Amino acid sequence: MAEFQVPIGPQHPALKEPISLRMTLDGEVIKDADLKLGYNHRGIEKLAEERNYIQNLYLTERICGICSNSHAMCYCQGVEKLMELEPARRGLFIRTLVAELERIHSHLLWLGIAGHEAGFDTFFMYTWRDREVVMDLLEIISGNRVHYSINTFGGARRDIDDLQKQKILDGMEVLRNRTNYYLNIGVTEPTFIARLSGVGKLTKEQAVSLCAVGPTLRASGVPRDVRKDDPYAVYAELPFEVCTADSCDVLGRAVVRIKELIESYKMCEYLVKNLPVGEIKVKAPRRVKENEVISRYEAPRGENMHYIKSNGTDKPERLKVRAPTLANYAATIEMLKHGFVADIPLIFAAIDPCICCAERSVTLIDSKTGEEKRMFFSQLRKWSIEYYTKKPKLTGVTWPF
Amino acid sequence: MKTKFAAFLPEIIRHLFKRPATVRYPFEKLQVPKDFRGTPVFDSAKCIGCMICVRDCPAEAIDIIRVEDVINPDAPDKPKKKFKMLLHNDRCIHCAQCVESCPTDTYIMNTDYEIAVFNRHRLKIEYK
Repeated sequence: MAEFQVPIGPQHPALKEPISLRMTLDGEVIKDADLKLGYNHRGIEKLAEERNYIQNLYLTERICGICSNSHAMCYCQGVEKLMELEPARRGLFIRTLVAELERIHSHLLWLGIAGHEAGFDTFFMYTWRDREVVMDLLEIISGNRVHYSINTFGGARRDIDDLQKQKILDGMEVLRNRTNYYLNIGVTEPTFIARLSGVGKLTKEQAVSLCAVGPTLRASGVPRDVRKDDPYAVYAELPFEVCTADSCDVLGRAVVRIKELIESYKMCEYLVKNLPVGEIKVKAPRRVKENEVISRYEAPRGENMHYIKSNGTDKPERLKVRAPTLANYAATIEMLKHGFVADIPLIFAAIDPCICCAERSVTLIDSKTGEEKRMFFSQLRKWSIEYYTKKPKLTGVTWPF
Repeated sequence: MKTKFAAFLPEIIRHLFKRPATVRYPFEKLQVPKDFRGTPVFDSAKCIGCMICVRDCPAEAIDIIRVEDVINPDAPDKPKKKFKMLLHNDRCIHCAQCVESCPTDTYIMNTDYEIAVFNRHRLKIEYK
């Protein structure tokens, strides 16, 4: 049978965010896959150069809605390193607590999405209902449901009192029971396992060589986690295990996330019970001397990296964001190959893609020669004007009303 | 472990008899959390005009404008500078950084959350 190409996206009901996939098919089987990015580019890195460090705290938080704390905390840690500032210990505990609560809400959200893509909508409804418990806790701590704004240079912005502590402990108990129930369902319900098992294979060697990150990498049996390998905040003293699975498929990715949920509940309880007394933040300078830094953070989706270069003023010279989704794209293409068309949404959802996190630059690719070219907007505009002046004018066109 | 079909069924049946998780807004309202960030409220008596809030506001939603000086009857030759604040609430992202940056506690955040209006010009709030 002849091979043919199917374009999917950038606007497509299977994908929640704008990204373009081009599949080369042989019947039902995917022979090759190609990703095209750039539909959600917002110019955040350039904007960051125009604003001072404090304003950028809120800008980086708005890179992503689901992992808003990941970007803000990663940026905040980087700037603190540049400032040579030692944050307050109580502040670090509160920050870490919010980071773990965010991981819980993100993983519960992903479990729901996985259920939805597999056609198990009841599971989707229940996990999202349970996610409200952790969303309410985040609202109690920070005052807001999505953008917690808990990070500031030198510590945290909001303190936790005894009533809030008790609410967090109660919430963790409820969520632990629910997660154990889902784990039980996952093990006993044969249809759900049958749908996820064997889909989107990524071997251990492929995962390592393609630089996959986060649960995608850990589901291929590689125990790599920034929280353990290069501890930041207070992770060095927290009791937790790096969760892995050996099945190398979507089922493994679900198992890793459920195990991580249970580890996160444990961590949150430890953080609340061992919260040190003292100030929540120390005073930070406004200007930062000339230097550069790379900050690493284990976001719910994988390793998040911020590169910050300072030039002695109160504004950064350069901010570069490498979101985990971008690191997982190469592995996604490998996962899609030799799979079925019907598995595309599930495989793609399994990396927990966040397109708006990953959109950083635009590259134009010539479809005939495959040649890559980076273009400035001014060049593109000039080129388009030249192109249309050479073309013959359209005739017989009327205003459409 | 032994697998069984319809393992989810008892849970689904139990949920038929549960109360809904949502409340009947606008007839019932949820309690606002204690650290909720509503709209900034400005107190002109405390403002010293240092402009730190203007510099730190991520949304450029604050304008501090100098108005006529206040004459102190005890020292008429040393008038006190007075400032008013113009809040562009359509730009405000309610991050409360102004509250944190202000050295004289001029700002507090209120707990209003129903701030949508039909006319966007009404979102410009002037605190004298």
